[in-house]
Amino acid sequence: MESLLNGFEAFQRYYLNWQIIQETLPLLLRTLPIVGELLILSMFFSFFMGLVLSLMRLSHFRVFRWFAGAYVDFFRGLPLLLNFVFVYSGLAIVGAASGLRFLILPSVVAAVLSLSTTYAAYSAEVFRAGIESIHRGQMEAARSLGMTYGQSMRYVVLPQAIKVVIPPLTNEFIALIKDTSLASVISVQELLFTAKEKMGVVANPTPLMVAAFVYVLFTIPLIRLAARLEKKREGGSKGDKTTGGSTGKTSALISADIAAQLPKGGGIQL
Amino acid sequence: MSTAPTMIELQGVHKSYGQLEVLRGIDLQVTKSEVVVVIGPSGSGKSTMLRCMNALEPIQQGKIIIEGIDLTDSHTNVNKVREKIGMVFQSFNLFPHKTALENVMLAPLKVQKKSRKEVETIARDLLVTVGLSEKADSHPDQLSGGQQQRVAIARALAMQPDMMLFDEVTSALDPELVAEVLNVMKDLALGGMTMVVVTHEMGFAREVGTRMIFMDEGVIVEESDPREMIANPKEERTKKFLGMVL
Ligand SMILES: Nc1ncnc2c1ncn2[C@@H]1O[C@H](COP(=O)(O)OP(=O)(O)O)[C@@H](O)[C@H]1O
Ligand SMILES: [Mg+2]
Repeated sequence: MESLLNGFEAFQRYYLNWQIIQETLPLLLRTLPIVGELLILSMFFSFFMGLVLSLMRLSHFRVFRWFAGAYVDFFRGLPLLLNFVFVYSGLAIVGAASGLRFLILPSVVAAVLSLSTTYAAYSAEVFRAGIESIHRGQMEAARSLGMTYGQSMRYVVLPQAIKVVIPPLTNEFIALIKDTSLASVISVQELLFTAKEKMGVVANPTPLMVAAFVYVLFTIPLIRLAARLEKKREGGSKGDKTTGGSTGKTSALISADIAAQLPKGGGIQL
Repeated sequence: MSTAPTMIELQGVHKSYGQLEVLRGIDLQVTKSEVVVVIGPSGSGKSTMLRCMNALEPIQQGKIIIEGIDLTDSHTNVNKVREKIGMVFQSFNLFPHKTALENVMLAPLKVQKKSRKEVETIARDLLVTVGLSEKADSHPDQLSGGQQQRVAIARALAMQPDMMLFDEVTSALDPELVAEVLNVMKDLALGGMTMVVVTHEMGFAREVGTRMIFMDEGVIVEESDPREMIANPKEERTKKFLGMVL
């Protein structure tokens, strides 16, 4: 019993030091703008890159399909941490040696580029599954009215697919929040970097606990939201059967990995 | 009849899905204002034939000519040809994210690039024609099957097509909703629309069909006046099939 108490006491001293918590929290909150910047820019770029990649993957042109497939496979396989290192240090070394100075990226730019390229691959998979979940009758009806493939995608298939992918994209956004912390390895002064710095100064890991607390605090509402959106989607898809709209299996779209495992429903090409 | 222009012409059409040959040499001519009723057992290739007529499916052999334009010619702009062919599906395929009115308006707006005002007038008139003026702002999931199918017909008509293809458009409907859809189709036929109708509604075939085609295993087995075929089928397979559906 006594040894257990000793354990608790040690944990408290190292991880829940009240004095350090009070010092660290405002420091970390001050990094939120930079975390937000990483988040919003990466979300924006990965959304559009992912959309383009998914359309390439479903295109009639073999070169597009091949490129998008290779891209997605590569970036889904590459650990994000290594992506950060390559984009930041790798490009900088090439830039310095070759005189192509523009390759020497500021760390924030490198971080956004790394996050965007990797998350574009995840988003592409989510979008692809979303598009394929729209009943092929939708594309056929649009084409039979004389719309081109592009018009049919834009006005008929994508508006429905976007609704389907909002819950899985919300989940991706949550993962993205946490993954901004990896930017600390290339010295972006974001939340985790600042916490680690403080940890060095006070020679105590309590700042890490504060960092964990802030991440969890910001992700929990989104996690609740994603769950709500998925429920709503599940309830809403029941009536769609007869219209030949969404096929209803889309509620299973939880993450990029699950999305990738979805059976092909569409065959949307025409 | 001989002076009426040919709207649809199929010459020796063969269509396969991989190894499976679904259409095995189809020859067919449809002239203006004809109502051709297509019957045949499930899997005989009726839907496939209709889908080939507006190039939703490529064919491997033969020719399909729509109003003098060869669909199989690689220089043909199939989108342009499809504008002239309205198609209505068994499963309605209305756009669920749009209201009835928006469903009808979409293609004229985006394809024909007409003004919104002009298109809305056309669309509202069409909804009146199919008896759904009060449902203009409803989404498909708020409509019965029969209402959805009538919106789908209005949507196809909004492009002012020269011909209409109907693929078992009443098969997914509850029996009491079949008549409202057939009545719209009858009015269309009376108005002189060229129509190819896959259906098992023999009453409709007798009343408005100008010709009947019996298909089996990818070929046209028998072809004649609908009343004649229903009363006196010549081929053994036709007799057997009609015996089952009548
Ligand atoms: N997309 C497809 N891929 C493979 N086979 C198909 C496809 N569509 C139809 N078929 C096959 O073609 C045959 C004819 O189908 P269909 O034209 O739908 O017949 P029907 O409309 O007369 O019932 C069937 O054996 C069907 O299984
Ligand atoms: Mg069929």
